Amino acid sequence: MTEHARFGKSQVRVEDQRFLTGQGRYIDDVNRPKQKHAAFVRSPHAHARVVTMDVSAARALPGVALIVTGAEWAARGFGPLPCRSPSKVNRDGTPFKEPTRHCLASDTVRYVGEPVAMVVAGTADEARRAADAVIVEYAELASVTDRAAALGDDAAQLWPEVPNNLCLDFEQGNRAAVEAAMATAKHVVRLDMGNNRLTAVPMEPRGAIADFDAATGQYTLVNCSQNIHANRDLMASMLKIDKAKLHHLAPDIGGGFGAKNSVYSEPVVMLYAASKVGCPIKWIADRTEAFLSDTHGRDQQSTVTLALDEHGKFLALHVDTVGNVGAACGTMGPFTPTGGTARTTGSVYAIPAILYTSKAVFTNTVQTDPYRGAGRPEAVFHVERIVEFAARTLGIDPVALRRQNLIKTEQLPYKTAVGLEIDCGDFPAVMERVLAMSDRPGYAARVATSRAKGLRRGFAVTPYLETSGGAPHEEARLAFRADGTVVLSVGTHSTGMGHETALAQIAADTLGIDLTRIRFVQADTDATSIGGGHGGSRGIEVGGSAVLKVARMVIEKARGIAAHLLNSHVDDITFKAGVLSDTKTGQSVALDAVIAAAGDTSRLPQDMSAGALDTTAKFERETYTVPNGAHACEVEVDPETGVIAVDKFWCVDDFGSVINPMLADGQVMGGIVQGLGQALLEEVVYDPQTGQLLTASLLEYALPRADHVPRMEIAFFEGAPTKRNPLGAKGSGEAGCCGATPVIVNAVLDALHEYGVRHIEMPLTSEKVWSAITGASA
Amino acid sequence: MTELSMTVNGVVRRAAAAPTVLLSTFLRESLKLTGTHVGCDTSQCGACTVIVDGRSIKSCTMLAVEADGAAITTIEGVAKSDGTLHPVQEAFRAHHALQCGFCTPGMVMASVALLAHTPNPTDAQVRHGLEGNMCRCTGYQNIVDAVLAASQSMKGA
Repeated sequence: MTEHARFGKSQVRVEDQRFLTGQGRYIDDVNRPKQKHAAFVRSPHAHARVVTMDVSAARALPGVALIVTGAEWAARGFGPLPCRSPSKVNRDGTPFKEPTRHCLASDTVRYVGEPVAMVVAGTADEARRAADAVIVEYAELASVTDRAAALGDDAAQLWPEVPNNLCLDFEQGNRAAVEAAMATAKHVVRLDMGNNRLTAVPMEPRGAIADFDAATGQYTLVNCSQNIHANRDLMASMLKIDKAKLHHLAPDIGGGFGAKNSVYSEPVVMLYAASKVGCPIKWIADRTEAFLSDTHGRDQQSTVTLALDEHGKFLALHVDTVGNVGAACGTMGPFTPTGGTARTTGSVYAIPAILYTSKAVFTNTVQTDPYRGAGRPEAVFHVERIVEFAARTLGIDPVALRRQNLIKTEQLPYKTAVGLEIDCGDFPAVMERVLAMSDRPGYAARVATSRAKGLRRGFAVTPYLETSGGAPHEEARLAFRADGTVVLSVGTHSTGMGHETALAQIAADTLGIDLTRIRFVQADTDATSIGGGHGGSRGIEVGGSAVLKVARMVIEKARGIAAHLLNSHVDDITFKAGVLSDTKTGQSVALDAVIAAAGDTSRLPQDMSAGALDTTAKFERETYTVPNGAHACEVEVDPETGVIAVDKFWCVDDFGSVINPMLADGQVMGGIVQGLGQALLEEVVYDPQTGQLLTASLLEYALPRADHVPRMEIAFFEGAPTKRNPLGAKGSGEAGCCGATPVIVNAVLDALHEYGVRHIEMPLTSEKVWSAITGASA
Repeated sequence: MTELSMTVNGVVRRAAAAPTVLLSTFLRESLKLTGTHVGCDTSQCGACTVIVDGRSIKSCTMLAVEADGAAITTIEGVAKSDGTLHPVQEAFRAHHALQCGFCTPGMVMASVALLAHTPNPTDAQVRHGLEGNMCRCTGYQNIVDAVLAASQSMKGA
């Protein structure tokens, strides 16, 4: 008997065979006959006028086929880079500011790395040399890169039509109720805190190959992107071509985390250039180019205020943020620091009144756009830092204060004061479970052991909630081949998460067939009519639901065919474990026999023809799910050096029903370590005077390495599957970095409490920690 | 251009290379061994790690001409010729030690070399030994577990 893939079972991945043997096919492994190579001329200045551009020397260099300048781009009248921010209305009802940003800048550059021209040449080296030979004369202008400074009246102005660089002045929640509570509460605590600017650093840099067939007018873009369908539509619109004339597809993708979501300049200019030079054009970013031009994330400064009554009950929360959106609106524009952070503000706590106010500002930095979590990690950080700070300030046990204020299970479903509708969960049970895992009875002994070594040990627990996101629609197709192969095509996009296994598991289990028979197709505008790609942890809950739906539709059709083959009535046909049976006669037919019959019109009912089982389904999510959980950790801090070691880490997640626990574990661990990176290591730094990017390589931008990372113990709480999708699943991809960042920071501050240190801005580098200790005790 | 000869995955390969060409580029473009990945320009990420004369080397730190005459193993040459995976590859699969797969070739090569020199490593030795290889997806834990498991299964072999 065949062992079938099953939901809830750890299944090793089918894609691993090729990845483990060097047979993966990433964008730089793709080549086209007669291809040429592109290189980009990028601004060396943070803010400058382009006075002149001279391409004559570059044009004369060997191999140069084409140079596209910003001036030519502007003259061609192509559309600007799009902004699709869901948040676009100021608090006074006026629209936000959306200055026009073109793929190539022509008159003014606004960040270091902004492209001003593209060179096409025979080899990548020739293209690079020619790009370096393009002579651009700039007139430098004053620049501003800091989020808070950008609002000042004296700050450099990026856009004449945007006073004080204010893109969006955002407000959500109940101002009157919050102000009233703040005015009368027994306790009001306030803390300023930053969310450091980060960059996703997928290990594979971006790249693309653009091609154009003059005979058919068809464009093809093989693109290292995680958003194939939506970006096809947007790029076609920019190029003013019919979207049916642009075939957009992705090869294997070496990580995304949001940085491959946006519409970028480079592939759009390459498509145009391919139509000019009549051959394919390839471009692969080097790592420094990735640091300069990939969208960044986070970069918020917030003042967080919490009002409590005399018993420690939370009364009101106000988060007031300035968020850096970069030099212009990215594809999601000002969404992350506004609506993206507001939606989960307050997290798992019952807070009657919440106000989220935020100013999204332009600065002379590359655009920020969603990076793993896109506002939800920031929201959890805000509330978990202020709760910890309040507990310290008021002399309350931080665990007890959290326990007291969690939304109770009997309060569910619960609508938060910012409008998030939580359908299910059990926040107290989840937090108690992580506390039970974390060996609280043994803690005192571990503190003593650390102290004997001259170290200080700290502990924290942090519940979190987030919400899934991304496009609500998805499509899945099943097609049955004569050789027994079942082709599963989806509009979701795995950039490493393992959909080739997890989504195939859903189809294989539902159909009762072996997993190895499924051939998986994703990220191709020719394979599905729509596709939401990857974002907002939507792969399983939206994509998986579409797969389940299409597989069930196939079974319905198979019942009809089986009835015809068995001379039965369809109502009498049941399906179980790959066999269709007539409950009255006891006759049965295997699904495989039905699949074979479906390829032969003569064996089908009159209203069906060959291929009758091939089916397409669309699934639409009604509303987001609310993944949640709790993290706990212990850290050791060396007060002599400020060096932090995260020693122990525990985590309980409520993702509803888990399809493949091994893959979900992997999502959580990767997220936790990215959260650790934000807490302790990572920060994009622009020089405040010159606007130069100081962290432009992996030498300066500190990514977590194997020896930074503690052993993580992860458990799933499966007692609250959601009814918002047929799988009962809640998105798992972004949860890890929601809980990990605040729990590590809070544990470090717990360790430093005896020194009087109450807050340190992230990342908590040893230098900052040492300075805080010595400063506080001086 | 210099005519180079090296034994790659057990086969003598000859190709010409300019003196400025990196070994990583030579493997990928001249020998079409695209399993060796390039993830940075500063020899930090380790995705391009291969084994040169028994030592793990970031192939972007070495010129192709420096490898003239060397014996090189890349990710394409780790499994047996009949397709049987190396114990390290097998352990990576069993322990879900890869997600996007981009760092994986370098991780596997660094792990193979680590176990050749330290057949029975501790958790900390594995983490230290792989410190030069970056992974953005897995959080490293499953990679460490895979290497520890491979060290056990190789002992039994």
